[in-house]
Amino acid sequence: MIDISGLVNLMIAEQVNIPLLYPIIYNFVLKIPVIGNIVAFLLGIPIIRYLIAFILWKPIFILLIIPGFGTLGTMLLVLPWLERKLVGRMQWRVGPREIAPRTRGSIQLLADSLRFLCQEVIIHKEAHKPYFLQFPFLYFLPVLLPLLFINAGTIGRTLVPIESEYALQLMIALISLMPVFILGVGWSSNNRFAFIGTVREAFMYFAYEIPFIIAILAMVILYGTSNTVGVVSAQTSWWNWGIILNPLAALTFFVAAVMATARLPFEIPEADQELAFGPFIEYSGIAFGLAYVMAYEKMYVLSAIMTMLFLGAGSGPAIPYVTPLLGDLYYAILFVIKTLIILLVMVNLRGVYPRYRLDQGLRIGWGAMLTLGLIAVAWSIVLGVVL
Amino acid sequence: MENKNAHIQFLESGPLAPFKKWAAKWSLWPCHFITSCCGVELAHAFACPRSPQAPITLNLGISRQSNFIIIEGTITRKMARALQFVYGQMPDPKFVNVIGACGERGGIFWNSYNITHPSDIVPVDFFVPGCPITPEALLRGVRALQDKIMGIDRKTIEFKTVELPFVELEERKVPTSPKLYAPTPAIKVDVKQEVDWDFGKELADTIKKELNGLYKSVTITGKDRIAIRTTPVNLLEVARKLRDQMQLDHVKSVNVIEVPHERKFIVEYTASSYSVEALMPVLVTIFTEIGMKDPKIPSLTSVWESANYCEREMHEFFGVWFEGNTWMGKKFLLAPDTPDLPLRKEFKIPEERYVFEKDVTPEFMVPIEPPKDLYVPIWEEFIKDAYESDEIVVPIGPHHAGSGHLRVTFRIKGDVIVDAIPEPGFVHRSMEKLAENKLYIQNIPLFERLAINDPVNMNLGYVRTIEKALGIEVPERAQYLRTIMAELSRIEAFYYDSGIFSLFFGHTTGFMYCMAIREMIIEALMRITGSRSGPSFVVPGGIRRDIPDDVLKMIDNITFAVHKRMKKFEDIFVTNPVTVARAKGVGVLTKEDAIRCGMVGPFLRASGVNHDIRKVSPYEVYDKLDWEVTTGDDGDCLGRFLGRLEEIKESVKIIKQAGDAVRGIKGPILSDAILGEYKEAASDIKGSFFRVFGNLVLPRGEWTCLTEAGRGTLLFSLISDGESNVPYRVRVISPCWMNLRGFMEAVKGERYADFWAVYGSFGYFPPEADR
Repeated sequence: MIDISGLVNLMIAEQVNIPLLYPIIYNFVLKIPVIGNIVAFLLGIPIIRYLIAFILWKPIFILLIIPGFGTLGTMLLVLPWLERKLVGRMQWRVGPREIAPRTRGSIQLLADSLRFLCQEVIIHKEAHKPYFLQFPFLYFLPVLLPLLFINAGTIGRTLVPIESEYALQLMIALISLMPVFILGVGWSSNNRFAFIGTVREAFMYFAYEIPFIIAILAMVILYGTSNTVGVVSAQTSWWNWGIILNPLAALTFFVAAVMATARLPFEIPEADQELAFGPFIEYSGIAFGLAYVMAYEKMYVLSAIMTMLFLGAGSGPAIPYVTPLLGDLYYAILFVIKTLIILLVMVNLRGVYPRYRLDQGLRIGWGAMLTLGLIAVAWSIVLGVVL
Repeated sequence: MENKNAHIQFLESGPLAPFKKWAAKWSLWPCHFITSCCGVELAHAFACPRSPQAPITLNLGISRQSNFIIIEGTITRKMARALQFVYGQMPDPKFVNVIGACGERGGIFWNSYNITHPSDIVPVDFFVPGCPITPEALLRGVRALQDKIMGIDRKTIEFKTVELPFVELEERKVPTSPKLYAPTPAIKVDVKQEVDWDFGKELADTIKKELNGLYKSVTITGKDRIAIRTTPVNLLEVARKLRDQMQLDHVKSVNVIEVPHERKFIVEYTASSYSVEALMPVLVTIFTEIGMKDPKIPSLTSVWESANYCEREMHEFFGVWFEGNTWMGKKFLLAPDTPDLPLRKEFKIPEERYVFEKDVTPEFMVPIEPPKDLYVPIWEEFIKDAYESDEIVVPIGPHHAGSGHLRVTFRIKGDVIVDAIPEPGFVHRSMEKLAENKLYIQNIPLFERLAINDPVNMNLGYVRTIEKALGIEVPERAQYLRTIMAELSRIEAFYYDSGIFSLFFGHTTGFMYCMAIREMIIEALMRITGSRSGPSFVVPGGIRRDIPDDVLKMIDNITFAVHKRMKKFEDIFVTNPVTVARAKGVGVLTKEDAIRCGMVGPFLRASGVNHDIRKVSPYEVYDKLDWEVTTGDDGDCLGRFLGRLEEIKESVKIIKQAGDAVRGIKGPILSDAILGEYKEAASDIKGSFFRVFGNLVLPRGEWTCLTEAGRGTLLFSLISDGESNVPYRVRVISPCWMNLRGFMEAVKGERYADFWAVYGSFGYFPPEADR
C-alpha cells in the first residue's frame, strides 16, 4: 500500500511559494457573502483539500499551471489570434474583428476550434485508417513531454517539475521524435502532396536537427552542466545570459527552432501554395484542428527552451512589494513573458519573409547554420577556458 | 440535391445546436476555389480597406479544411467537374455562395456553349449579383449566409408599403433583335487597300522574289499588313522560306475561317518578326483554302513553335487536322461534354430575345446535366512511362492553393520538373463564338471580361480594330484620355500580378500591399468611368464622356500616392533577400527561346528583345510623350518581375505627362465621322448610344490590330463580310495565351517549388488566356 500520508506530507512540504495567495483567500475570497461560504465549504471536504495541495505541490503546479499545460492552453487560444492581429497590422489591415468586436475578435480561435470539433472527419479510402487516426493524437506526447524538464525559476529558486542531470539530452531526444510522427501522418495519408510534404519534412529534419543539437551542446559546454537547474543558475543576471555570452549559439538555436516549427521563411514542408498543407492535406475536422494547434505547441516548447538556455529563464529585476508578494509566481510570469516575446518574433516572421525553396533551406541548414553552430561551440570552449 | 438545406438542418440538430450554429457562423473558411474573373474582387474583399468588415478569413485552405465555397462567376463545363469534386471533398456542414451574374444564369455569357449553372451542380445558399460584383456585395452575401446559419428567416423582414399613383402607360413595342446577317456572305481576307506605304511595296516585291512560284498572290491589305495566298501543299515551304529568308520568326495568330456555303475553310497564319526592327510592326498573313470535307493541312509547328497551342485550339474549334501537331484528336481547351466543333457556323447558340413565349422555358433556364466523371486528360502510357522511369506524376490545379484555374500535370524526378503538360480551358467562356452573335458595339463589354484587371487595354484593343477598319481618326483630347486610362489599367494589371507573385512565395504582406495599392487605381478608374473594373468606356471614335479637370487632378494625386506606396512594397518584398534568392536565375527563358515560343510584352522584353507595340507602331499619343521601353537580359523570374516594375514607373510618368497635356487641349471626345448627324453627343454619348453605334458595319476584309496590353501584345482580328452588322469571325489572341507556351518552356528543368515563381513572374491570368 502506498504511504498516502507520507506523500501528503511531501506535497505540503514542497508547496509552491506564493505569499499573496493565502492572504487573498483568507482576507477577500472567504469574506465575500455567498461565494465565501461555498469556498469555505469546499475547503472543508478532505479530498478537495488534498487536491488543492496536490495542485499547489511545486512540480505539479509548474507542470499544470505555469509555465506548463495551463499556460500552453492559454497560449494556443491567444497566440494565433495575436499572430493574425499583428500580421494584419503589418499588412495594412485589422485582422479578426467581427466576432465580439469589443474584445477585438479575441475569441476567434474559440469559434474556429468549436467549428473543427463539430465538423465531419473524413477518412478517405486510400488512407491507412489506424495510423491516419492515431498519429495526430500520438503527436501530443513528444510535444508535451519536454515541458517536464523546463526550469522557469532563477538562481536560488528552482521551478522545475523533474530535476535531472540529463534534462537537456532528454529534451533533445523528445523533440527529435516529433518529425517521426509527421512522417507517419504523411505516410498514412497516402496522397501525392502529403508524400512530397513528408519527404520535405524529412529533409528539413536533418538540416535543422544537427545545428539545433550543436547549439545546445555549445551551451552545455559553456555552463558545464546539462541539468536545467544548473543551466539557469549559471545565468545570474542579464550580462551573463546565454544570448550575451554566446550570441551565435542563440542565433543558430532560433533559426533551427523556426525551421523545426515550419514557420516562414522555412515553411517548406507545409507550403500552402505548393503543397496545400503538405502532410496534413487530407485531415479534416478535429484532426486538422489538432494538427493546426500542434505547430503552435511545438513553437511554445522550443521558445521555452530558448528562454531557459539563452534568456536566463525567470531571472529578472526584483520589483519592490510585487516580487515578495508573488513569490515563485513572479519568476514564472517573467519566464512566460520572455517566452511570449520570442514567440511573437517567430510568428511575425510570417509578415516579413517569403518562403525558401527546399534546396535553399537545406543549404542554409547544412551550410551556414552548421558553421555557425561549430563556431559557437569553439567560442564556448574558449570562454570556458578564459572564465 | 434532394434536400438543399441539409447542412442547415444538421446545425440545428442535437443538444449542441446553439454552439454549432455560433461556431459555423463565425468560422467560415472559404476554400481556395477561384473559378473566374470575380476572383479579382474576392481578393479585394480581404485586403486593406475592407478587411475590418470581412467576417471570413483569407482563403488559403483546401477543401478538406474549409467549409465554405465562394464560386466566383462562370462555371465552365470543365470547371463544373472540379466544382463537383471539391464540394464532395469538403466535410459537412458546408456552404456555397455564388458571386457574379454569370454564376446565376450565365450573365453576359448566358448563351455560351461551355457554361453551366452552379445551382445545377451544387446546392447554393446565396447568389450575389453583379458583373463583376463589388467586394461590399460579396461581404453582404456572407452576412446573409451568417443570418441563414443562425436561423434568421429573411422573409420576416417587414417592408414598408408606399402608395404610388398608378399611371397607365401606352403599350410600347419591345425592340426586336436588330441583327442583320448576310445569308451567303462573300468572305475575303486579302482585300487590297491603297495605302501610302513604300516599305510595304518593297517588302511585297522581296516576298514575291523569295517565294518564287510558291504563292498565288501577295496583297497589301493595309498599312503594315501583307497577305500571301498559297496552297496547302506549298504552305510548309512558304513558312520555312519566310522564316529563313525574311526573318519572320514567330506566329502571332493562327486563325480558321469557315465559309460553309462555299464548303471551305480559310486557314491563316499571322507571322511577324522580333529580330528585324523594320519588320516588327509588319504582320504577314499566309493563308490557304481547304475543303470542308476531310480538312487536313500540314502543321507549321516544326517551323514556328509558337503556332503550337493555337493549332490545337483551332483543331478543337473547327475540326481542321494539322498534320504533324502531336495533339490532334485530343481535347485541349474543351471538356468532353462540350459540343463538338463549336465554332462552326452550323452549330447555333441561342440568340438573345426580349420577349419569351408563354409555356416555353427560355434556354438559359434549362438545367444542365451535372458531369458524371472527373476528366483528367492524362493518358495511361504517360503514367506508365513516368512510373517506369522512377518519376512521380503530380497534377496541380484547378483547385489548388497555388493554381487558380489552370491544370498542369508534372512529371517530377526527385525535385526537378521533367515535363509539364498544361491543360487550359477552365475559364473558356467562348468569347469568339459569342462575338459572332452580337453587334459590334455589344462586344465591347464582352471582350472587357477577358481580363477585368486590365479592362481598358482589352477595350482599347477591340475598339481600335473597329476604328482601323472604318478609318476613323480619334480627336486629340480623347486620345490623351485613352492613354491615361490605358496606363492606369496597366498599373492595375501589374499590381494584381505582383500580388499573386508574392502570394505564391507565401508572402501575404506583399499581396495585401498590392491589393491596397490597386484599390487606389480602381478608385481613379471609378471616378472616371463609374465602374470598378468593367468600365466599357472606350467606344469607337473616342470615349463615352469627357473627364472634368478635377478628376484629372485626382488622378494626379493618386499616381503620386501610388508612387509613394510602391516604395513600401519594394522595401518589404522586392528587395527581400528571400525573394531575390527564390527568383534570381530561376525559369530562365533565353532570347532564342522567347522568340521561338512567341512570347509577348514585358516577358519578351525581359529576355532582351526590344519590342513594345507602343513604340513599334505607336497608337494614341504614345509617340508624343517621353518614355522608355524597359528591357532586360536575364530572362529569369526576377528579371521579368523587375522589368514590369520599371515599366510601371514609366507608366506613372506617362500619366503625369498626359495629364498635364490634356488640360491644355479642349475639344470633342468623339470623332465627327462616327457621330454623323448626332452632333449633340460630342461630349457625352449618353442617350445617343444606340443611334450612333447600333448599325456599325465594317468594310469587307480582315482587320487586324495590335495593342500593348498590360501583359503583352493583344491581337484582335475582325473578319467582316461588309454587309452584316455583326462580325463574321473574331479572333482574339490575348497575351497570356501566347505566353503559355513560353511559360511551360521555362518551367521545365526547374525545381518543383519553382513552378510558382515562374507562374507568378509570367502574370499568367487564366481568364485572359482561355477567353
